[in-house]
Amino acid sequence: MSEEKKSENINKKGTGNVSRRTFLKDAGFVVGAPAIGTIAASSGQASAQDRAAETQSEDGSTVSRIHTEAATTIELTVNGDKYRFTVEPNWSLRQLIRDEIGLTSPKDWCGGLGACGSCTVIMNGRPVLSCLTLACECDGANIETAEGIAKAGHPIIQAYIDNNAFQCGYCTPGFVCTSKALLDRNNNPTEADARDALGGNLCRCATYQQHPPAVLQAARELKKT
Amino acid sequence: MKTIKKFTHIDAKTVDEAASILRAGNASVLSGGTDLLGTMRFEVLPDYPEVVVNLKSIPDLEYIKEDASMLRIGALTRLEDIAKDETVKTRYTALAEAAHRTATPHIREMGTIAGNICQLTRCWYFRLPDNRFNCVRKGGRQCYAVMGDNRYHSIFGAVKSCFAVNPSDTAPSLVALNARIKTNKRLIEAGNFWDMAVPGSTVLGADEIVTEIQVPKPAAGSRSAFIKFAIRKSIDFPIVNCAASVLNGNARICLNAVYNKPYRATAAEESIKGKTINEESADAAGAAAVESARALPGDRNKWKIQIAKTMVKRALLACS
Repeated sequence: MSEEKKSENINKKGTGNVSRRTFLKDAGFVVGAPAIGTIAASSGQASAQDRAAETQSEDGSTVSRIHTEAATTIELTVNGDKYRFTVEPNWSLRQLIRDEIGLTSPKDWCGGLGACGSCTVIMNGRPVLSCLTLACECDGANIETAEGIAKAGHPIIQAYIDNNAFQCGYCTPGFVCTSKALLDRNNNPTEADARDALGGNLCRCATYQQHPPAVLQAARELKKT
Repeated sequence: MKTIKKFTHIDAKTVDEAASILRAGNASVLSGGTDLLGTMRFEVLPDYPEVVVNLKSIPDLEYIKEDASMLRIGALTRLEDIAKDETVKTRYTALAEAAHRTATPHIREMGTIAGNICQLTRCWYFRLPDNRFNCVRKGGRQCYAVMGDNRYHSIFGAVKSCFAVNPSDTAPSLVALNARIKTNKRLIEAGNFWDMAVPGSTVLGADEIVTEIQVPKPAAGSRSAFIKFAIRKSIDFPIVNCAASVLNGNARICLNAVYNKPYRATAAEESIKGKTINEESADAAGAAAVESARALPGDRNKWKIQIAKTMVKRALLACS
């Protein structure tokens, strides 16, 4: 079934490639509750009706927003694209990014303890752990993932390649996000700054020595532009 | 990844509103979420909160201000912002250093000062997923660390049979700097803020919420320092940490992760009183600090006594 299904998918999406996730989903391997969130308008154009409903509930209301199991609607920007989702209170940001948006760079290593840094994303300029961030608290947030950083052609990506700063690559998106957040704040980091900033990212292949040179290289590249 | 079980989430608009939700029962407050969401995901506690009250939606709780008499830090101020603040770094060194040495950079970007001082213990019997050890800290009948693996546990005895330690890095700094913690109901001296509770680690009432940390402005010539020993420098909770502040031969010294609550080393303070801080006097103060320390049966945590002694010594030397 796979070959046929794959080509169908490619034609439908018209993107020329199919992610493993999309494939699994379409092939019916993902079981459990159907996702209730949908990308309403990736251009950010919400329908007039939706807007009216929001205005009513938010304007002049003295009661706080209560997010029951029945879910709540949030709008957020991920890698420059605007999304609107209906999320449940217990969803983590990582769950939203991976399962709903389909960006698989925030990894799960420590199981949601906040111990490994592999789920790092940049939220409003801060490198945060998406596994310990509730999706319903991300209304209005501006989020960057490793996909966005790569798409924007940030020099940190080439620097990581040049410095062989990974082996298996599982932890790399987390490192890339953390490094990028550092470079956004500090355009002239020292090696100590880089070590300090990356202190919360674990790498089971122990590529630690290669990360600070990669960050410093990216900083030099950024200064040239 | 284990998904978090269902709950109702409320964005509070004021502290009073959050307190009223807490009064209604079975609710938890959420600020940074780095501790709470972990305990919820792994169902560490016997009770699962029905309602989570988000405090981040309350305006004006995130600030660092210094006036003529004191430093005021809003409860929701992130640890990273405290660690990087120039005022805190210059005059409240122990606090800036403690905030900087807390957890990982990511957790410092998320975690708040109030959350850090109110965090639950890291005792591995307490923290085991699915509440597998219903210990005294959870309303049970025994402390499993006494007979079990207690290499990280208290060296100054138990409080109400619990040998777990307080893992906060900022807590000893606040004690050493003689800070006060403001809640929606009262002002508490840092020295009286922590106590054994089920399952908490503070004296806060069920509907009490920390709103501000107040640190008196240190007198000219005073110095403070924070020293931490952990296995992995950039990630781990402390094995032992120590904060000290010194002014004119008087010191305030506080150890943490050695006892149920931050442990004020009064014996060490007496020992160093009036003396010039040097290698010898600091060493003596360290020895005095751990004079009453006792390892648990089996001596598994005996190593912490030596570390505590050295931490006191180094903290004092860093103030000289």
